[in-house]
Amino acid sequence: MSHIASLRRLLAAAALSPLGIVQAQSIPDNIDGFDFDNVSFGDDLFAQPQSNTPEWLEPFTFKLSQQLFAQVNSHSVGRADGSTGNRSAALENNRFSLLSRYQNPFAPGWLLQASAQAKVYWPGDYEYRANAERIDTEFRLNEFFVQRSSSENSLKVGAQTVVWGENIGNSVLDVINTSEFRDLTIIDIEDARLNQWLVVWDRFVGNHQMSTFVNLYPEFNPPPVRGSPFFFEPAFNLTDYRRDQALFEIGSQLRWSFAGSDVSLMAAYLYENQLFYSAPSTGLGDAQSTANDYLLLGLSANRAIGKLLLNLDIAYSHDILATVLVTPFSPNEAPYLATQALNKLGATLGFEYAIDNDQSIILGLTAEAKLSPNSGLANNEVLLEDEVSGNALLRYSKNMRNGDLQLAVTVQSALDAASMLGSVSLNYALSNNLAVMAQVIATSAKRDSALAVLDEDLRMGMTLSWTF
Amino acid sequence: MMKPFCQRIRNVALLCALVSASSSAVAQMSAREILEKVEDAQRTTTDSAFNRIQLSSCQFGVRDNQITCAERPRVKALESVGVNFGPSNKDTRSVSIVTEPPAEKGIGMLSVTYDDSDQDNETWLYLSALGTVKRIASGNSDDDTEPASIFGSEFTTEDQDTGKLDEYTLTLVEESSEAGRDVWIIESIPNAERARKTRYARTVQYIDKERLVLLRADMYDQHDREVKRLIASRVELINEVWVARSLTMMNLVSNRLSNMAILEINTGINVPEDFLSQRTLTDVAFRETELQKLREQID
Repeated sequence: MSHIASLRRLLAAAALSPLGIVQAQSIPDNIDGFDFDNVSFGDDLFAQPQSNTPEWLEPFTFKLSQQLFAQVNSHSVGRADGSTGNRSAALENNRFSLLSRYQNPFAPGWLLQASAQAKVYWPGDYEYRANAERIDTEFRLNEFFVQRSSSENSLKVGAQTVVWGENIGNSVLDVINTSEFRDLTIIDIEDARLNQWLVVWDRFVGNHQMSTFVNLYPEFNPPPVRGSPFFFEPAFNLTDYRRDQALFEIGSQLRWSFAGSDVSLMAAYLYENQLFYSAPSTGLGDAQSTANDYLLLGLSANRAIGKLLLNLDIAYSHDILATVLVTPFSPNEAPYLATQALNKLGATLGFEYAIDNDQSIILGLTAEAKLSPNSGLANNEVLLEDEVSGNALLRYSKNMRNGDLQLAVTVQSALDAASMLGSVSLNYALSNNLAVMAQVIATSAKRDSALAVLDEDLRMGMTLSWTF
Repeated sequence: MMKPFCQRIRNVALLCALVSASSSAVAQMSAREILEKVEDAQRTTTDSAFNRIQLSSCQFGVRDNQITCAERPRVKALESVGVNFGPSNKDTRSVSIVTEPPAEKGIGMLSVTYDDSDQDNETWLYLSALGTVKRIASGNSDDDTEPASIFGSEFTTEDQDTGKLDEYTLTLVEESSEAGRDVWIIESIPNAERARKTRYARTVQYIDKERLVLLRADMYDQHDREVKRLIASRVELINEVWVARSLTMMNLVSNRLSNMAILEINTGINVPEDFLSQRTLTDVAFRETELQKLREQID
């Protein structure tokens, strides 16, 4: 190796060492053909690092992240009313996040677990713009629960998540917790999945687990945050649900395993996560919100066959609400929106295949059908929702550089191809603590799609994370 | 990417048994008999065992005739509990929990591996960020035709393979000394079928004659170039089984090395049957209580 190359290596080492990536060492230019029989290992090579973390900090894990994302394609966008508008390339996300987790089994059979997020929205971020061009901050408590476990029972009380279904991310059964999708990028899974205040009782008998939850304060998916790509200007203020009566949810799941499969049966009394909004009776002020209770019956199962895993989730929902357009018989009255209770059957089918030790491919199909959708409708009522809806998800993942570099390619589409999303992400672990993720997301949507505003968008960005 | 990830956890748990052997003295044995003894002992160290393992990897260089890391090592650490069961006690049920690095802390895996290649292994992964358990399609023991890196290290799945001696031509080359110990030097050459699955055209193993522990292994490619070298150290007698508590695999092509330090190894403990279940992955209060009971057995 030339002196120039050596100098370059030293400069690189010096530049990276503050980040803990490289510790400069005297490395021979060429160790090919080196006689390893006559060398020994340095005394400090395998020395166990002395932890200087105070004992009270041991249960904590922190993750600091800085995210930059921009919509980079300037283009025109067709609107549902037939008009077109321009969409300029612009920075969308410039935000800093601190995620902290705490997990402390403080006594035999006891656990205290909590996690929280704090975010700062810097100039250029859409939340900065929505905050009158001022730096905005946000704090959110995610998990906060106490658990008591004995030989066959476990009781968890507090804010937590309950995940039903075998398909991760797009299951028709994953409806216990509410969610919030502000944009197409998330830093942590906690950005999207919101915890609920629950009492969860698990009973373990042999190969069976019976899990029951009670939610005495059901919450609902929040409306889109002002300024986010999903935000639309509502005709009326969308407020939190006004609780004029006590709400509760309850559900149980029985799960057991046998060779090659896990099976679950579940039943629950729930509220639809999405509130229904209607115009205020006075025509001014806040929208009226309706919380709809319904009954859910579910079945989930998986089957492993060699390197192939099949996942199936089935959900039957009784008395969910659908939006209908009512055209009054009197020509003097304007049409208006109403709701109609009906039943729905949904299924998610997932295929996961491990191509080899470093590559896998996942295909997920979700479809939901409204059962006899027109049977309860009057002659002047028309269902405004698709009788069948759903989406398809295809993901390819590959590990490279001994797992330090991970590639993921994802394509997601509505079943009717009205909207489509393609994403390529690269996640590189720079060190034990530092990781960087680069992502490109392209979206396409038809004019009558709910995601029409994202048509022809191209987003590029990166997230730098430090975990300790 | 879950299957490769969980396979790495499982294999790290098994790797701790890579170089260990019974302390019984052996006089005249063939190369195969020696390696069978070594493999038998490997299995005893995964039976009713509670281990803490740390895997460190780095680019290496040589300074003052000593091998040193040229960068801060990537560190993975995990705790594992396992028992052997089934015919000939060759099947394994184990639970492993990642403790390092911080970004992967709390990820857990329940694994059931079967020696019979006709029976699929079973694996469940606990995803701590989602708080849910997911089954992983693991395939069977013979599915993995390509050796895979274990947890991003220089150790690969074939480095911990056992029970495949039939697929090698084994030769006792000579008796010599290594690291101050009398050793047998055994050469292993794969047969045609195994050659399709292995990256090593020839392996030379140095077996401690008295302790029946592998002290060193040199791996060669098809051009007879040494591509990897394994060095074992800190050999200790644990429950009447000699175990090397430090294994270092040097990749002589990429100049990268990995060290596996067995921080704790405890065998012959009484592991409750319900501990090796999906509940242990999700119920941290239960898991920690049971782990404490295991630690008390050790103390």
